[in-house]
Amino acid sequence: MTGTGSVPERDAGRVPERDAGSGPDALPDEAWVAALAGLPAMGPSRLRAILGQWAPVDAWRRVARGTAVSHPAVAAACRADRASVAAAWSRAALDIDVAGGWSAHQRAGVDVLIRGSAGFPAALADDQEAPAVLFSRGRPAVLAARRAAIVGTRTCTRYGAEVATELGRDLANAGVAIVSGLALGIDGAAHAGALDAGGAAPIGVVGSGLDIVYPRAHAHLWADVGSRGLLLSEAPLGARPEPWRFPARNRVIAALAEVVIVVESHSRGGSLHTVDAAMARAVPVMAVPGSIRSPASAFPNALLADGCAPVRDALDVLVALGLSSVPAGGQTELRPSPQGDAVAALAAVGWEPASLDDVITRTRLGPGPASLALARLQSDGWVTCRGGWWERVATDIEGRRSSP
Amino acid sequence: MIATIPSATLLGVDGTPVLIEIHVSAGLPGFTIVGLPDAACRESRDRVRAALLSSGSVWPLRRVTVNLAPSGSRKGGAGLDLPIAVALLVAAGELDPEAVAGLGMLGELGLDGSIRRVPGVVPLVEAVEAESVVVPVDCGHEAALVGRHQVRVASNLAELLECLRGHAPWPPLPDPPSPPPPGGGLDLSEVRGQHLGRTALEVCAAGGHHLLLCGPPGSGKTMLAVRLPGLLPPLDRDDALVATRIHSAAGSPLPGGGLVERAPFRAPHHGASAVALIGGGSAWMRPGEISLAHGGVLFLDELGEFPAPVLDALRQPLEEGVVRVSRARASVSFPAQFLLVGATNPCPCGEGGPRGACRCSDGARARYHRRLSGPLLDRFDLRVVVGRPDVGALLGGPAGEPTSVVADRVAAARERARARGSTANAHLPADRLDELAPLTPVAERLLEHRLRSGSLSARGLHRVRRVARTVADLSGAPRLVDDEHVSLALGLRAEIVVGENAA
Repeated sequence: MTGTGSVPERDAGRVPERDAGSGPDALPDEAWVAALAGLPAMGPSRLRAILGQWAPVDAWRRVARGTAVSHPAVAAACRADRASVAAAWSRAALDIDVAGGWSAHQRAGVDVLIRGSAGFPAALADDQEAPAVLFSRGRPAVLAARRAAIVGTRTCTRYGAEVATELGRDLANAGVAIVSGLALGIDGAAHAGALDAGGAAPIGVVGSGLDIVYPRAHAHLWADVGSRGLLLSEAPLGARPEPWRFPARNRVIAALAEVVIVVESHSRGGSLHTVDAAMARAVPVMAVPGSIRSPASAFPNALLADGCAPVRDALDVLVALGLSSVPAGGQTELRPSPQGDAVAALAAVGWEPASLDDVITRTRLGPGPASLALARLQSDGWVTCRGGWWERVATDIEGRRSSP
Repeated sequence: MIATIPSATLLGVDGTPVLIEIHVSAGLPGFTIVGLPDAACRESRDRVRAALLSSGSVWPLRRVTVNLAPSGSRKGGAGLDLPIAVALLVAAGELDPEAVAGLGMLGELGLDGSIRRVPGVVPLVEAVEAESVVVPVDCGHEAALVGRHQVRVASNLAELLECLRGHAPWPPLPDPPSPPPPGGGLDLSEVRGQHLGRTALEVCAAGGHHLLLCGPPGSGKTMLAVRLPGLLPPLDRDDALVATRIHSAAGSPLPGGGLVERAPFRAPHHGASAVALIGGGSAWMRPGEISLAHGGVLFLDELGEFPAPVLDALRQPLEEGVVRVSRARASVSFPAQFLLVGATNPCPCGEGGPRGACRCSDGARARYHRRLSGPLLDRFDLRVVVGRPDVGALLGGPAGEPTSVVADRVAAARERARARGSTANAHLPADRLDELAPLTPVAERLLEHRLRSGSLSARGLHRVRRVARTVADLSGAPRLVDDEHVSLALGLRAEIVVGENAA
């Protein structure tokens, strides 16, 4: 019993035969691969196993009939739940309009790159867990640049966001393309910095279909990366950002990168996947040191303790990449220097979030003078306040993001 | 034969006069109470009978009709036992009508003839239409607070009958219990560290601004809140009488001396229902926690855990200082002017202070705080982030200022506000801010910068200016509000919910 599921065989067979005619409007391989990738629970390893056995049209037919899982390689990729997977696939295949899906990809300007085809990124083609297919939008030429991944937590501190922005900006200025996941927090900050630099354009690897913008807050960033850089996904149009897609996405980031930089991450964050995948591929991992008291820096600090190279600025990364040129774009300080109580208050805020009470305790100023000093520092752009916590500002990342 | 004795019954925090009329006539022995008595009131027949027999009196074997006039309104509680028993003796001819002339009565009877305390003696005695009033001995001080009546006390029915017949003198009022220490014995000097929290308490007490404390468990939010009543000035005579009536009507024990003179402190658990908080109930219309906090502090710990409808029910009383409770049978209004102090954790896990300190995402934090509706959050002029004090401050740090010193500054600041003709700075009308809280040019520029940068909304502006007025009053600045006052007011208005200040 190979789990043909509840679907009668003649129904399952009819759909592909109608579409797979050999007439002048015959669909290309890409259309069938896109349809296969859109099946439920079709992870990268299953798709790789299926396309390793049959040509795409054949593969689709077998999947629709529910017979694909009887092949030992596919069965191994599906493991114990192969019966339910086969049933789910053949059920879903009935509802998929292969030709319609293909024309949707063409209309949206999304390239479907099958592994082994001409446009497929060379860095990924020989990977141990290479994607069987990639969906891309933007300028594939950016893949020719040197590539560094900047990854980290979605709930970063001001420090983390600033460092990610600076690294993104300085590396892009030095001609290094930033690879990241377009997520909230570190990812978005790195992309925003890279876009701002105007140097090498960034590469965004996402977990959902290229028409499903996730997170929604990054719609602008997503559009900018898609127009000036390159957007990559393993999921066809319409695919939801399901949780299992993100670890898979992280492996693509690690495989594309020549170096992975962890800016801020909690001890059990998604960056672990990226770092594990990078180490499995012998991609160097670097980490940005943070305060030993900041939970958001727990993972990079642990990496440093394990012997990863530290990132103090973009130059450290360039040296690791074998590039020696000093990044351009050093800025002159335009903010007025702090005066009087503000000097002590700025020192008291330090580089970790501090409450007003902390500042009062550390400076021994009264509540009134301490708030006045902070208010002046805030007006001059030295500190910012978020959720009642004061954080020191190194660069004006909000201003940079809002500029096109 | 007919006898009447004035008494009163309770609705909300007000007493209503009730005249007990008893008619005893020939006929089949029986005892009927008319005039819409509730269950407790109707059962008084059995208590009265047992109490009379225990006191050595006779139970008339005739037809007895008790009417509670006015007959159209409902009467509740057991407080009418005593007047019914005495009036029955008069109507049965056992007691001279002259002995009870001009005498009102209140009290519940025990089966042994003892006279027990009833809740709401202050408003009840106020409502009794008589020159003197007999109350249970435990309630003598409460009754004397009203001041309009000659108060007689009695501990049991037999003793009372002796006094009424002139065979014994009236017993004297018992000595009042000793008053509790001011501030509940809690002093601000016991709070180590927490400079900002202490400042916030002071500003809260001086200006009547509601306060929201945000911090992880164990950071001292409750410790700060319970010390707020000690900073508030004693209630003036009118407010004390109102508060006393409320506490009396709710049946909660009154402090020594009877009058509620210190600001009360109420901290209902977050399981409290809307009725428990606001007041009401089907028959009795009991005042709720917000009325019991009248003139003092209502502390809601774990504000986010209160059901949203309960919190939203607070909005109207916060605005108007009274709460109107309407039921099918009756509609009453309770005074409810209180300082609201809320406490909340910074995020669902409770441990996160700044962003990045824990793994609660911005979305989870926003959802956690969304339970505090915008309009309620908006009532808090002061939002303060409190952290756990560091070990040094806990163990060896210098003690903070004691309550007495801070309370003096609060009293002085309140005096300055009163001299300007306003009750509390929190209620300064927006259109008079320019006149009563004028800004120095530097302060004006600071606020303009915050408005332009979007970190302060137009609505927030008025609130910041009111708080700044209080800060200036506390620092002794007579007129102009300068940039230091404004920055502290801004610092005391932390953006607890991210993005909320700019909204």
